[in-house]
Amino acid sequence: MRRRPGIGGLQSAAVARDQYRLLGENVAKLRTDLMKEQLATFRSQLEDFARKHKNDIRKNPTFRSQFHEMCAKVGVDPLASNKGFWAELLGIGDFYYELGVQIVEICLATRPHNGGLINLQELCNLLRQRRKSNREAVSEDDCLRAISKLKVLGNGYEVISVGKKKLVRSVPTELNKDHNQILELAQAQGFVTVDEVERRLSWTSGRAIDALDILLEEGLAMVDDGHRDRKRRYWFPCASSISSSMGADS
Amino acid sequence: MMQKLGDFKLPAFFNYPPYFTLQPVRDTREKQIQLWKELILDYCRTQKVFLILLEEEFPLFSNPVIERSLNNEARETFLSALVSEGRAEWLDKGHRKCLILWHRIQDWADIILGFVKDNGLEDSVMTVEEIRLGIESRGTELHGMDRTILMRALKLLEHKGKVAIFKGTSADDEGVKFSV
Repeated sequence: MRRRPGIGGLQSAAVARDQYRLLGENVAKLRTDLMKEQLATFRSQLEDFARKHKNDIRKNPTFRSQFHEMCAKVGVDPLASNKGFWAELLGIGDFYYELGVQIVEICLATRPHNGGLINLQELCNLLRQRRKSNREAVSEDDCLRAISKLKVLGNGYEVISVGKKKLVRSVPTELNKDHNQILELAQAQGFVTVDEVERRLSWTSGRAIDALDILLEEGLAMVDDGHRDRKRRYWFPCASSISSSMGADS
Repeated sequence: MMQKLGDFKLPAFFNYPPYFTLQPVRDTREKQIQLWKELILDYCRTQKVFLILLEEEFPLFSNPVIERSLNNEARETFLSALVSEGRAEWLDKGHRKCLILWHRIQDWADIILGFVKDNGLEDSVMTVEEIRLGIESRGTELHGMDRTILMRALKLLEHKGKVAIFKGTSADDEGVKFSV
């Protein structure tokens, strides 16, 4: 029957619209409910998994890292709070909390030497040395997670990339692009000279010296005038490891 | 791997070239001075070194492994820092000779008093050389100690009425009477 555009027709169109809207809402609700149900199932399966593999998660850094990725995909953060199901089940909150504390201690202890910038690898090495008696192995991934939790402590505790390396910054020093480029150059030998900076980055000597002076002032670099070639070297503690013997350069 | 000088373990910073250059930035320099002060005192204490002559080769002032040496200014800066703390004394105006007090004079005085009591020497007489090199002092910190420092400690004790120093039979050996 042809719809007539009279008042009656308009009213029934409105009713139809309402009905469609209700239906639409129901469908949406159904979809959401379904999703929630799926998510709940997924979560409980994840919990079962975690329970079953608790030891592997604690002992194996690679496994642990993959577990974290899985959790992230489902929107679960085992570290979100120190209490609650996950922390209790896995004791993982404590593990990262403890790591965080130890990382802070190491950063503070090495700050007089490196000005508050430390190579991630060296940090991990020092961490492992500290935890020698502890059966639980620690990976760089674990360090990064612990550090990201530390960020809530405020300024500092940031991971920055310099070339292929990662550095952990525990002081609020702001580094600009020029500083970063010098840091990257320094990774090769642990030091740079003004000539090298000028040559490799195509800078004027003024620009090189300005940047190096700031890095010196911030305690991130030290001068060395003792080489037989008489050229001043700028050494960057974050580019070497204190724990191994730092070399002669000849 | 820790480098050693004889059986003395060298700290990690000793292998890092910039520590052999006096740092221009104040905060960095202060940390550097602190590290060197501790190293010098530790080394002198364990190796029983009492005197450092700036112009001579003192093992701590060079590291051949990294081909670095402290220049004169650095040496004088670090030793002057020890002097400021009462842990060393310049013996000459030119700051070429430095007496190292890894025990302060007061500490040496206390050690002498302890030595006297331990050996029942309360009313005895000994020569200065006997205190320094005699059989009784063997195995104690007094044995082989620097004569200048010993005299200073004894003079401090004399000031407190614990000893009396007098000229001995030979021109340069004095005697000490303990009235502890």
